[in-house]
Amino acid sequence: MTSKIGDWVDERSGWRKVYETIFLRKIPKINWLYTLGSATLFTMSLQIVTGILLTLYYVPEPTQAYASVDYITNDLTFGWLIRGLHHWGSSAMVLLVILHMVRVIAYGAYKYPREATWFSGVALLLLTFSFGFTGYLLPWDQRAYWATVVGTRIGEVTPFVGGSLKNLMLGGEEISGLTLTRFYGAHVWILPGILLLLVGVHMYLVVRNGITAVPKRNE
Amino acid sequence: MNEDADLPVADQADSEAAATVPQADPDPESDAKGLSRRQMLSRSVAVMGGAIAAGVGVPAIFYIAGPAAEDAGVAEWIRLGAASSVEPGRPTLMKANIERRSGYLTTNEELSVFVTTDNGTEFTVLSNVCTHLGCRVRWVDEQDGFFCPCHNAVFNADGSVASGPPPSPLDEFEVKVEESQIFIKGAS
Repeated sequence: MTSKIGDWVDERSGWRKVYETIFLRKIPKINWLYTLGSATLFTMSLQIVTGILLTLYYVPEPTQAYASVDYITNDLTFGWLIRGLHHWGSSAMVLLVILHMVRVIAYGAYKYPREATWFSGVALLLLTFSFGFTGYLLPWDQRAYWATVVGTRIGEVTPFVGGSLKNLMLGGEEISGLTLTRFYGAHVWILPGILLLLVGVHMYLVVRNGITAVPKRNE
Repeated sequence: MNEDADLPVADQADSEAAATVPQADPDPESDAKGLSRRQMLSRSVAVMGGAIAAGVGVPAIFYIAGPAAEDAGVAEWIRLGAASSVEPGRPTLMKANIERRSGYLTTNEELSVFVTTDNGTEFTVLSNVCTHLGCRVRWVDEQDGFFCPCHNAVFNADGSVASGPPPSPLDEFEVKVEESQIFIKGAS
């Protein structure tokens, strides 16, 4: 029955070929360090799911942001779990992308023909940091506020465009409700849009070019 | 889908695995132990993936449904006003301010009800919410009934449906009179 439905869909979509290309492709003998990319992808999925769930209750408005986070964490059924997963997941993701990158550097996996994979990976690394930076403000507590003060001041020392860059990030001279809404918009709409696009490119390139073997001595 | 039958498997590129698994045996399912390495791995992935999905999915259902089961924190008995202010024989609109809690927010709401009495001692309190689609009804003397402007429904003075689409009479509140003040029961 299942295979009949599978056949019917396959005849019209060719999904088996896609499935085989992605999941049944030949790979060299590798080790556990090669799972870091998949681990990052999994963590990203978890961040997307928990992040969407958080938007059901979170309010990006100065008088309500902290209260809504407090409500999620302390009053809502399993709110502590959903927020906890998102909170720790963000740190896990930063850690995992860095470890994944170190593996790629150590094995020389960025070389021909995988330079484009590497470049998209670098963009994804910066994107992950941007997620962390914009998400950090959203609880709207003292830590969030001052971390954003420090973060945007760091941006301010950029030569020539620093001042404008800081004002662009903050939506004005100082942190305000406008900063909160634009960080929120960036965190839940702009960055995820770019992320999904780039992850798609990155994954396509991984499948297209195959993965590198573990380099051997005297090779 | 049987993923073992005829597809090229990654293991064949694996020199170590190729050494231990005889290439001559195309069907790993016929293995004496009954479960190939490949099957074991794909089942483990399915089990672990299912456990993780359930670990997030089940709490997520409670997380989403949580506030739906929450008590709005409306006071049990709401004071409407003096019993003497109700005109016998004609439904009188009375208002009360109530606090309603939703999540971390508390809002003040005005509750409007129609109070009817024939003798000044026994009172009937009807909701002003039309039972059709929730519009507010008003008392119209000429029609001797409650009129709903949304779909021209008319309710009789006792709340029963006179004409129009409403499926049931106007909701009635539980009433008590204490020290000449009318109270209605808010929270169930």
